[in-house]
Amino acid sequence: MKTLAKKDLVKAINIWADKFEVLSPTKTTNGDCIFDTFQENKFTTDYKKPPLSPKASFFPQTEVIFKVEKNEYREVVAAKKMLLFGIRSCDMMGLLQAASFMSRDKKDVYYNAKRDMAATVVMACPGPQNETCFCTTTLSGPVAKKGFDLQLYDMDNVYLVEVGTPRGEKLLSGIPLADMDDGLAKRQIEEFKQKAVRNIPEVKAVIEAMNKLKDHKADEKVWDSFGQKCITCGGCAFVCPTCTCFNVYDHQSSPGNGLRARTWDACLYGGFTREASGHNPRSSQALRLKRRHEHKLLDFNGIDIQGGLCGCVGCGRCSDYCPVHIGTLEVVKAIAE
Amino acid sequence: MGGDCGNIYELRPVSIIRTLPQIKDHRLFQLKLEDGSTWESFGHQPGQFIEVSIFGKGEAPISISSPPTRPDTLEICVRRAGKVTDALFEMSKGSTFHIRGPYGRGFPVEHLKGHKLLFVAGGLGLAPLRSLLLYALDKRKEFDDIILMYGTNNPENVLFKYELLSFFDRNDINYHYSVDRDDEGIWKQYVGVVTGLFDNAVLFPKETHAVLCGPPIMYRFVLQKLLNLGFPKEHIFMSLERMMKCGVGKCGHCAFGDKYCCIDGPVFPYTEIEKIKEAI
Repeated sequence: MKTLAKKDLVKAINIWADKFEVLSPTKTTNGDCIFDTFQENKFTTDYKKPPLSPKASFFPQTEVIFKVEKNEYREVVAAKKMLLFGIRSCDMMGLLQAASFMSRDKKDVYYNAKRDMAATVVMACPGPQNETCFCTTTLSGPVAKKGFDLQLYDMDNVYLVEVGTPRGEKLLSGIPLADMDDGLAKRQIEEFKQKAVRNIPEVKAVIEAMNKLKDHKADEKVWDSFGQKCITCGGCAFVCPTCTCFNVYDHQSSPGNGLRARTWDACLYGGFTREASGHNPRSSQALRLKRRHEHKLLDFNGIDIQGGLCGCVGCGRCSDYCPVHIGTLEVVKAIAE
Repeated sequence: MGGDCGNIYELRPVSIIRTLPQIKDHRLFQLKLEDGSTWESFGHQPGQFIEVSIFGKGEAPISISSPPTRPDTLEICVRRAGKVTDALFEMSKGSTFHIRGPYGRGFPVEHLKGHKLLFVAGGLGLAPLRSLLLYALDKRKEFDDIILMYGTNNPENVLFKYELLSFFDRNDINYHYSVDRDDEGIWKQYVGVVTGLFDNAVLFPKETHAVLCGPPIMYRFVLQKLLNLGFPKEHIFMSLERMMKCGVGKCGHCAFGDKYCCIDGPVFPYTEIEKIKEAI
């Protein structure tokens, strides 16, 4: 197996940056770490869970899909060669599931154009990034099983380099690498994984909640009480790596001219399902919260969940950011109780 | 990119041949394709829908009201309910706009052939059912008995009035019309909810397939009625309404349970959704 000396990492990223827009862990002035365009002086390998998944790289918060001039429209499909460096396995799984959804039945050209041009370099997760991580329960971590082009394992002085795809193999050309005995590398990876798994707590409530929901044995009062608390901000959906719902709207600059865009939407919003007749099949916040969590935990579009447990990848961001504590962790615990 | 590799949001320009006022805030639009081809090239099936797209306003899902057996025009019966339909109602003969489609799963036409058909429609629910009704009437020999039950809230709100009246002159369709209320006493047919029509109809549940479309409350009562009468569950098909924003199973607005109304429906066999609480 190949290894990359830690001192050569920046060199490697610079080589990639010649061909790709590299998005990598970047320190912000207020101490956060976000995925942003690689800048050597702000790049860090000492980072915790970034507040946002890389979802927006493929599915921007707002994206123009048509430009309209004199009542004629032109499709605007924006994509560039992009390399995501340092994403964790939970986000890799989120990306796999979202991409699978966006290409089922008919392909969404806007999403797929970006996805097809993006390379991924996963940084295997050394352990819980904070107290809301539960990827081992959702079968999406601490290391990625597929989807990545390259996966790096942080050892003492080197990164072990696991190649996932032919594109990953190509990424290695020109990069200064050394060799490690395959048997030794395998043992080191296994040790790395075991250590991470030991430190990431298993959340049994996820499975219990899934079973209860499946058997229609969940207490409906749970939704009522969460429904009372929810402030309908939609933040849980926006930070979720697998949430891809959108709204489409037109902006008219003058009659016959303007643009059509799509923008993130959330099933938590009251108008999300309202029909032309005024009838709303999910007419209360309790029903909308139930929908969101059943969708994640049970009916993930009936699509390929890519070897995960369900449509939740255990990143814990909804629990991190919900202002009123209605993240997936809180919900499954309440249901399981 | 885009068109060449098949953008699912690609639009087709259409123009209005004629607008036919129906009732207050409901209008029938007859459309033709701007490229001159007939609607045969569109390939729609009874029960499918289109997205009406008007630049500057947005898109709205509208069911197709005409059958593929009449390829010269595509008819949509529209209720004025928002930005897009407001703009549509400002348009007249010759106006152009765009559509996408046809979308969704329509009625299982081939499966229904040779059987008795019972149509149960409430209010604007007649719009999607009309595509199948006219299809069956156009291919009358391929179907057994055709029974139509149509209910509205009052006599002023009867859609497709002349078409419904024209059935009086036909002996190959059984029709039963109802209104919930008739304050002015002008209604000569049944007064009461649509399920009341079952009392006077002669039905052969085991040989009949029922297709339903109407407001949520109607489904609940009609389903109960059908099951009580002994209709096999597999003989019941329903066209559901949802906010189908994108029409191609991506935007998420029309999803319930593990279904996406816009691609798994809007026509569902009852057996597929009976266990999903939220479906109706």
